[in-house]
Amino acid sequence: MRNIWRSFTGKKAGRAFLLPAVIILLVLTIFPFLFSLFLSFGKVSFLGGLKIHFAGLKNWLRLFGDERFYNALSNTVLIAVIAVAIEYVLGLGLVLLLNRGVKGSTFFRVLFFLPMMLAPIAVGYMWRMMFNPTRGPIDHVLPLLGLPAVAWLTEPKIVLYSVILTDIWQWTPFMILILFAGLQSIPPALLEAAKVDGASGWRLFREIIFPLLIPASVAAILLRTIEVLKIVDKIYILTGGGPGIYSESMTLFGYSLGLRAFDLAYGATIAFSLFATVLAISIIFLLITRRSQEISLE
Amino acid sequence: MFKKLKKSRLIKEVAIVVLCTAVIVLGSLGSSQALAQKRFEGVEITVFTQTPPFIAKPVQMFRADWEKKTGGKVRLITAPWAELYPKMFSSFALGAKNYDIIIFPAAYLADFASNKFLAPLDTFIAADTRIDWLDILPVYREKISTYAGTIYAITMDGDSHMFYYRRDALENPEYQAKFKAKYGYDLAPPETWAQVRDIAEFFNGWDWDGDGRKEYGVVEAMRKGDQGYWTFFSRSAAYTSIPGQAQGLFFDPETMKPLINDPGHVQALEDWIKMIEVGVPGMINMDSGEIRGVYAAGEAAMAIDWGDIGVIADTDPGSTVKGKVGYSILPGTTKTWDYVKKTWVDFSEVNHAPYLAFGGWLGAIDAKSNNVEAAYDFLSYLGSPENSYICVTTPETGFNPYRKTHFEKLAGWYGYGFVHPEDYLSAIQATIAHPNVQPDIRIPGAFRYFEAIDAQLSMALAGAKTAKQALDDAAKEWEAITEDLGKEKQLKNYRASLGLPTK
Repeated sequence: MRNIWRSFTGKKAGRAFLLPAVIILLVLTIFPFLFSLFLSFGKVSFLGGLKIHFAGLKNWLRLFGDERFYNALSNTVLIAVIAVAIEYVLGLGLVLLLNRGVKGSTFFRVLFFLPMMLAPIAVGYMWRMMFNPTRGPIDHVLPLLGLPAVAWLTEPKIVLYSVILTDIWQWTPFMILILFAGLQSIPPALLEAAKVDGASGWRLFREIIFPLLIPASVAAILLRTIEVLKIVDKIYILTGGGPGIYSESMTLFGYSLGLRAFDLAYGATIAFSLFATVLAISIIFLLITRRSQEISLE
Repeated sequence: MFKKLKKSRLIKEVAIVVLCTAVIVLGSLGSSQALAQKRFEGVEITVFTQTPPFIAKPVQMFRADWEKKTGGKVRLITAPWAELYPKMFSSFALGAKNYDIIIFPAAYLADFASNKFLAPLDTFIAADTRIDWLDILPVYREKISTYAGTIYAITMDGDSHMFYYRRDALENPEYQAKFKAKYGYDLAPPETWAQVRDIAEFFNGWDWDGDGRKEYGVVEAMRKGDQGYWTFFSRSAAYTSIPGQAQGLFFDPETMKPLINDPGHVQALEDWIKMIEVGVPGMINMDSGEIRGVYAAGEAAMAIDWGDIGVIADTDPGSTVKGKVGYSILPGTTKTWDYVKKTWVDFSEVNHAPYLAFGGWLGAIDAKSNNVEAAYDFLSYLGSPENSYICVTTPETGFNPYRKTHFEKLAGWYGYGFVHPEDYLSAIQATIAHPNVQPDIRIPGAFRYFEAIDAQLSMALAGAKTAKQALDDAAKEWEAITEDLGKEKQLKNYRASLGLPTK
């Protein structure tokens, strides 16, 4: 008995201690992942009890012939590209301002972070009220400024931009958080040396600050992109995906078909197509940024 | 003397015997009564329903009382609306027995009953002296609570769409004169959907109640992903339902072919699209909750809703329309599409076809439950005439009247805050008891069909498709869903849901 415990050292012990975590991971993550992958090739029947049959590529063929899928995909990608780009530019600008030691910067830093701390559902309700055409403050103020009231959530051409606006409002602070940390990590001596050599303003930003912020920028953009591609809660509250399907995202599409209509197999197929989209965009983004970093190093 | 003593002793002895016997008999009676009252000692039943307050509140209100009387325990588990069906279904399908009782939307009944997930309740109800089954209005006890002739659920809530209008607007003599001059007929509560359009147009975009703000013609729930499709079917029912004919609202009961793209439905959708321009701005994105708030804030002349606007308008402290609301059965049409003869039928009098949108909430028991008796006893207690009356006249229960006695006793309704309860109740009663009343779709996959038409209706409302295109596309999706679920089985289920014999 004693010998067993004695031999239980080094790698063996390490593996044994890891085992519970691995089992939990397998049960809670890998198994549901594989099960839903299997579901996307299956047909779920409830008549006479729960039955799952293999259906080959039926769900995938249905997906690729479904105009609602392409609409949701294009909405989602558009939201991600526009929202993340604006969030990054705004975040970077605000970080540079805060870093210049503007009066009250500590107060503003806390203020800027507040939206990020709110639940997306709460943000959705808040903006739904703000955008309300008869009782909302925005459409009340616009005519006072000589501008026409806007049908923020009911005009098909505008609704997606309203969703993007709410996302920018909530998540620009995330960019500020990451970029501010990146900026703080730049050695002050490096900036001082550049200033001594005559660099200032735009040149200092272009040649020192921005290149050194690239790792933080890549992380921030990637994390935000992955998050925005999964957007559902705010849209669900703001518009329910409407009017029509003009603001329907991939996750909301999957939720509607999978859990509202209870078409689980098709819902799983939509979920996996979203997973593939997120994976593909992330890989492409990382490849592009790595390549551009290599070029700048060369 | 001796004789006298003997006699008095005899009387004493007899008195003692009688007294003892009485004590024993009464004691045993008492203990048997106590035993009867505590017949569910140690039994715990689990009730699953929607997150409070609405629908779960009655369980919270009455469980302590039932526990005290029976010795049983009630565990309440709740979930948001969107999680109800998946959680109920998976518990049943996997035989997990997570819940003894479910309180659920009537639209799920066919799914659950056809899969034999629910315990039949006929024998319980027949032996139950408390439930007073015949006091429940026929449409609920014979159609909504039953499936293929068997009772699977106890009605907890009566739900149907009804029509609301502002009395102060429609009964104003000045507006009546102006309206007649413009439209050529008297301004009165609308009888047809065409009149709704005219009246909405008349009252749209000006301050007709003198509060210094603009008001609008109508407010209806149109939002995608919420209750829009129920509003649509409330409008299309009269265009598609000929009295005495088998339901023409959803499918042809002979072939299971979807009827949702026939001219009656197309006409109803075209009417509905036109309401956007005479409705409260942003109506296309409003769900039922929002239209209730808008109507109680006095922003619209008319509305379509379940009984809830009536409750909120008169009982909510924030309402600006208390006592100003009139109630009626849903408007009808003077022409209806005959899906059998494929032609329009003209009516000399208005054809009404009120629609039991959603159908209300039901209480049912898991067929595999280990506590069926206790579960039934709790459901029967909750749904008894006395307790259900308290439920329908208490704020935030979410339950609307469904028993004869609910309509007869007005005291509770006045106590609730209603100004004209008799009008409110007679509009509901006229809806439910109407000979051409249309029940909601009650077949497996009901919400799959709803989801498909919901997206298409929303496209039409947004102007992305014409009414015909949208409904044609919805019909194609309905056919695909039927094929996927099994056409023969679905036809059998649909006929069973309508009480028609199996083909």
